[in-house]
Parts: sequence; C-alpha cells; structure tokens
Amino acid sequence: MSARTDGPRRDSPSPDHPSQDTPRPDPEPAAPRRTPITLHDLVLLAALAVVFGFLYWALVQLWGWLQVAMGPFGDLAQNALAGGWMVVAPLAVYIVRKPGVGIVVEIIAAIVEVVFLASPVGPMLLLVGLIQGAGAELPFALTRYRRYGWGVFLASGISAALFNLVLGMVRFGWAGQDFFALRVGLQFASGILLCGLLAKLIGDALLRTGVLDNYAIGRAQRIAARAAG
Amino acid sequence: MSATAFGRPLDVDSALHRRDPAVKLALVLVISAVVTGVFDPWTPTILYLLAVPAVVLAGRIPLGTMARAHLPFALFGLSLFTVNALTRPGPVVWVLGPLDVSVPGLEIGISLAVRTLLIGTLSLGFVLTTDGARLMTSLHQHVRLSGAFAYAVLAGYRLLEQLPQQWQTIRQAQAMRRPRSSGGGSPRHRSRRVRPRRTERPMPLPRSPRALARASFTLLVTTLRRGERMSIALETRGLGAGRRTIHDPARLTPGDAVLSAVALATVTAVLLATWRCGLLAGWGALGVFG
Repeated sequence: MSARTDGPRRDSPSPDHPSQDTPRPDPEPAAPRRTPITLHDLVLLAALAVVFGFLYWALVQLWGWLQVAMGPFGDLAQNALAGGWMVVAPLAVYIVRKPGVGIVVEIIAAIVEVVFLASPVGPMLLLVGLIQGAGAELPFALTRYRRYGWGVFLASGISAALFNLVLGMVRFGWAGQDFFALRVGLQFASGILLCGLLAKLIGDALLRTGVLDNYAIGRAQRIAARAAG
Repeated sequence: MSATAFGRPLDVDSALHRRDPAVKLALVLVISAVVTGVFDPWTPTILYLLAVPAVVLAGRIPLGTMARAHLPFALFGLSLFTVNALTRPGPVVWVLGPLDVSVPGLEIGISLAVRTLLIGTLSLGFVLTTDGARLMTSLHQHVRLSGAFAYAVLAGYRLLEQLPQQWQTIRQAQAMRRPRSSGGGSPRHRSRRVRPRRTERPMPLPRSPRALARASFTLLVTTLRRGERMSIALETRGLGAGRRTIHDPARLTPGDAVLSAVALATVTAVLLATWRCGLLAGWGALGVFG
C-alpha cells in the first residue's frame, strides 16, 4: 500500500469527520474543526509509543552497566538523556495536532514499558508519562495547536525539562544534592536538543517519507502547498 | 526476558494469575505512590522483605526467574544509592577524593535503592502473572477506558511483538547494501574473504551510531506504515464507531477483594509500625521542602 498517494481512500473517512458516509464538499477545510482523537490517530500514537519505547528499552539495556560504572555521575548523566525519553510527546502533537495527544502518547508509552517490557521504574512511569507529556504539550496548547515553528518546539523542550525536573525533585529529592546546578543544566540542554528540536527534525523527516499523509500534519502540508501555488 | 515473551504471563496457574488485572495494576500503583513519599531506609526494606516471598509464593514464580529479573532493578538501585551517598550534605563518614559520603546520603541512598527493588518486585509480580490483552479488557470494563484506546494499545502491543524481528531484518538489509570497502556486502563473499572456514556464520552488523540511527528511523517508518494498515483494518470492522459489547468479560471475584485488603493492610501496618518506632521519614528528610 502506498501512503504517498493523495487518493480519496483515506480522505473520505478522515479523522476530521468520523461520520463516514456523509460526503464532504471540501475534503480539506482550511481551519480543521476540533474533534476528539480518533481510532486512526490512537493507533498512530500507539505505534509511535511502541517504537520509542522499544528503542529506549534497548538503550537502557546497555545503559544500566554504564550508569553503574560512572558512579555518582551515572545518575546525573541520565538527565542528559532525559529529553530523548520525552521526544515522542512533541512529535505526536506535531503529527496529530489535537489537544491531549502529547499526554496520551506518553501514557501509552508508559503502559508499553510497564506492562509489556517490565520497566525497572514500575507503574510510577504512568504518572511520569502524564507529567512529562503535559510539560511537552503545554507550549503547543498555548498556541491553540496552530503554530509549529522552531520556537514552539524550543519552548516545548524547555517546558518538558522543567516539569521533569520538578518531578525528580519530588521523587528523588534532587534539590538536596551537591550537583543540583549541573543537573538542572544537563536537563535543560537535553530537553531543548533531544526533546524539542529533535521532535521537529524527526517529524519533518517522517513527513518527507509520505507515511504521515493521512494525518493532520500531512493535510496541513497539502493545504500550504495548495496556497503557495 | 526473551523477545517473544512480551506481555505474556508465566505459563502456570496461581493465586495471582487468577486475580483481576486492573485490581493488580491499581494495587501496584497505589503502593508505589505511597512508598514514593518515604525516605527512610527501614520502611521500604521491611516492605521489600515481605513482598518478595509473597510475590514468589502467590504467583508461583521460579526463584531463578525472579533473581534474573532483579538485575535491571538492582543496577538502577545501585546507581541511585551511589549518587545519593556521595552528593548529599551532612555529617561526613568517609572522604573519597573530591566527594564525601554523608550519613543522610547513605540513608536516603539505601531508601531509594530498596524502593526501586520493592517497586520492581511488585511490577514483576504483576507482569509475570498478567496477560496484556486481559488487562486491556479489564481496564475497558472497570475503569471505563475507551474501547478505541484499549484497541490502540493492543495494536501497539502486536506491533511491539514484531519489533525485534523487524529491527534485525532492517539492520541486516542495511548491512547487505553497504559498500564492500566499509565492511559490508554479501555475507557469503565477505566471510569467504575474511574467515574462509565459517561460511555459514552471520556477518557482524554495523554498530556505529550513524548505522543505528538509520536503522531506528527505518524501523519508525515501517512501524507507522504497519500501524496505519492495522487501523484501517480495525476501522473497516467498525471499531471506534460506537458502543461495543465485550467478549469474555473480566469479572471481579471475592479473591480480588481479599488480595486488595491484605496488600493495603500490610502496607498500612508497616507504615504505622515504623512511624511508632520513630523510623519513618518523609520528604522532610531531604532538608529541602520542610
């Protein structure tokens, strides 16, 4: 199946109009109406969550030993990677462009990690996912899910890092440790690079493959292309 | 854990296997949340010493499986212990170069490390006795989780099961297409050239960060494609279109109530005991919030 074609197959039962049998005069309205997240979106979110969960899990298998070998800095270095764990949230918002998507994808990722991969963090990961997802999604919500420039992704990375930092202070008491300033620095650098900016890079690369043509990001691109000429 | 065992319970019947998945998940969540507020070494240690035999016996989990599954938790816990022992202010017991080991650091470090083991043990007891698909049915019924969400997670689970195989295929295909000069090319030619006697041995896959990133991106694209095919298949069967009836509903039994009562009563008793002995410490032990 080629997802690259702009055929009418996916455009008629589009997530924008779940009533599948009503024909639409304009298949791609300029301002898409807010609709709940559809099954089509949810399966995409699950696929995203699963791939990132799997890659993260594979990374952790190697990472565990390295972390112990690095002694006290192993735990600090985890902050440097924290952004990568959250990248799926801004990426999902970028693709689906509906409220709550960032939180939902993080929760699915957490369910996959906990229930199917037996993560060492345990079911607390559900709460972690909720908070990280909310942090990453906040800047997009402030633009009412309309702007997807580099600045919004930058803000998303910063906001995700901030939420994660507060969570770590509550869970592990980071604020009472000696290298707290270093931790904060690593966390924000990681949030900006590995979460915010990387999400846009991955999203744009995926868009070029054509695999996202039937989602909000693909529709927005077609509308923009049509407007340009 | 082998790749095919994702989300499948141990193939035995036990008291824990028969409990409702949503009840088990809720218990693990509640207990994890409660111990997250505890920062003394005693409370999590007592709970851990109670949890291991309880989970092993009630879930009929082989000791070897339990021990092997402990490894990732132990590493994670060890790392938490080191960082806390070395980076917390307080009375110093031991100086180690530029770092020093403090008493509160040791206590909080042990607490966090044992907490990791405790939560890990509970998670293992849950994962090793629970079928992923039954969990989603149970959540759909008892927590009013939307059917579309439950099916999306199950679709994700199906994708996950195939991921290790996909990952291997993609990496082999990419290794095959690499130029001969950089160590790629046909495995038969390559092995004849380098190791003439081991013609059947698979060639080593490229492990450079660049190669892994390329393979990861390909994995992402192919999985999204397969996911979209799945969602079209689900939609054509009318999923996500309205209310549904449930096949083989998950029923709550008196056993679920007994399990919940026993687990929560034990945690409460241990918390009360350590509190009465003056051992219980909360966030105040960190010296930042209070």
